[in-house]
Amino acid sequence: MKIYNDFFGEFGGRYVPEVLRPPLDALEAAFLAAMGDPAFLAELESIRRDYIGRPTPLLFASNATREIGGAQIYVKLEGLANTGAHKINNAAGQGLLAKRMGKRRVIAETGAGQHGVASAAMCAKLGLDCTVYMGEVDIRRQRPNVFWMELYGAKVVPVTGGSRTLKDAVNEAMRDWAGSFADTHYLLGSALGPSPFPDMVREFQSVIGRETQAQARERGLDVAALVACVGGGSNAIGFFAPFIESSEPRLIGVEAGGRGAGRGNNAARMSGEGALGVVQGYKSLFLMDEDGQLLPTHSVSAGLDYPGIGPQLASLGRTGRVEFTSVGDLEAIEALRFFAREEGIVFALESAHAGAHALRLARELPKERAIVVNMSGRGDKDLFIAARALDPDAWARFLGEEAASYGR
Amino acid sequence: MAAEARSPLMTHLVAFFPSRELSLAAARGMIDGGARYLEVQFPFSDPSADGPLIQTACSSALEAGFTVARGFELVGEISALAGVPVFIMSYANLVVRRGVESFVERAKAAGAAGLIVPDLMPGSDERLYEIGARSAIEIVPVVAPDVSEERLALVRSMRPAYLYAALRAGITGRYTALGSENHRFLDRLRPLGARILAGFGVSSPEQVAEIRSEVHASVVGSALVRIILDAAAPGGAERLDPERLRRRMGERVRALSGPG
Repeated sequence: MKIYNDFFGEFGGRYVPEVLRPPLDALEAAFLAAMGDPAFLAELESIRRDYIGRPTPLLFASNATREIGGAQIYVKLEGLANTGAHKINNAAGQGLLAKRMGKRRVIAETGAGQHGVASAAMCAKLGLDCTVYMGEVDIRRQRPNVFWMELYGAKVVPVTGGSRTLKDAVNEAMRDWAGSFADTHYLLGSALGPSPFPDMVREFQSVIGRETQAQARERGLDVAALVACVGGGSNAIGFFAPFIESSEPRLIGVEAGGRGAGRGNNAARMSGEGALGVVQGYKSLFLMDEDGQLLPTHSVSAGLDYPGIGPQLASLGRTGRVEFTSVGDLEAIEALRFFAREEGIVFALESAHAGAHALRLARELPKERAIVVNMSGRGDKDLFIAARALDPDAWARFLGEEAASYGR
Repeated sequence: MAAEARSPLMTHLVAFFPSRELSLAAARGMIDGGARYLEVQFPFSDPSADGPLIQTACSSALEAGFTVARGFELVGEISALAGVPVFIMSYANLVVRRGVESFVERAKAAGAAGLIVPDLMPGSDERLYEIGARSAIEIVPVVAPDVSEERLALVRSMRPAYLYAALRAGITGRYTALGSENHRFLDRLRPLGARILAGFGVSSPEQVAEIRSEVHASVVGSALVRIILDAAAPGGAERLDPERLRRRMGERVRALSGPG
């Protein structure tokens, strides 16, 4: 696959007001130059090894496999990357690129907060100023990540417009960038937005897929399928990247099924009612009404409720190379509990959607085959949501006591 | 009043903000005040090039029941009022969702003079320019100060009759202090031979006067949306009174073109 594609079938492109074209043209040129520069790639490689902690392990989930009794379940422990999720892979690449371009400031959007944390951490490491836009609803849902971002020295700006979630944070970052591009890099965290972002994010995330490929080969696994959750799609496209042009293994994207069918209850674009649109600088499938107004979405996980999907995944869904399905809130939380009990690993709520589907799939496949699920993030950030869902009484008591201790 | 006798102003309003009736009253006031063109924004749920004021207006307009079909009806009504040309401004998704061809035809049927869709620029326009030319409706490109010569040449090849000059980078609403770089930008645009509509942060008679000789019209947006916002605010004096809003808007637009 080429490093720079711009369009993926009919999806993608650079549908931006003229004001954003010069910075995007400059970014495209800088990205392509960096990817051909051994010094840049060596620096990125050393950050991957010494700061991120790569390669991340591939775990054989032996108890889960025994319990299900079907195909072997392997978990790519991407959540063990420093800062807790795959997001750091892209933040490291774009952070270095920002420095190379002479930018002094970075802005980022975040939903679950993992991309915000990764950006804030990388900026601390590289000595860049960092501002993170985050919807008010997400700030409430993922408060621990707000604390970490601020500890890293980032400014977290609450977004109060629209649905106050990830898509609104993207809007706000685009507004900032339209006036600040002279000294500011927009560190977009998902494989979406105007080109070159979808290509750039895939390239920086494809390290997940390359490692998985090598680890599976080393162990002689007969991989039947790769499973990843899909919000905007950055972990999925990076995980799938080395396999896109071959016909094996099956590549499966899992969207948020939320509370079930019906408008506003989920964020299923490919497995639901996504329609062709041009939003936030790119052409793809979006959840929208007959007029093109974006619709409200729902997911228990703040990282999966984006109403659009990255253009390359939309295209791969159209051609059938990537299959899409969805998993609801409750099934995701059940998978979170299952993997904690069986394997001693805590999935982020986003990644737990993929974990849940891997369990379904393992039942259907023979024992000699393997399924690899990407645990794109670990679940520490979801403590409040998970505790409320799984042990509400004890947790409420603790919170009450904790709050009271501040008043003393 | 003939177009030449009108003030060199394109005034902007958001359709259905704060209601259909009041947005129509605001449009009447703008016409009373002598505006040469009206720009009617069709609200989009995610207006990522707009500042806080127009964002608020857009979400409020959607709550007030705006649909694209009703928007075209409103444009039809405004176009029929006094022969002041109406341009529809919106974001790409509303145009693409309906289908570019259908959107253009419906706009034409409603009597709109042109379309301003900042995120469908030449080269990434989903055939908007081609379809517009065929339907004899003006498609107005929006250019910004850092536009490259290569991009300007592409814009020029579309042979636009009007060209919207965003006077600075950034989003709508913030005041633009006009300086020599703005004049240099306008100088770069003159060879295109299009009628230049200049906006982004233009809110005062002094600004309108300063660029009067260099542009066909100044575009005033957020400053007028603010008048409507104030009127629509709880306790606002003109609340639910279209006649007062129309009068106030007329006075404000008249004041923008300055004495003489």
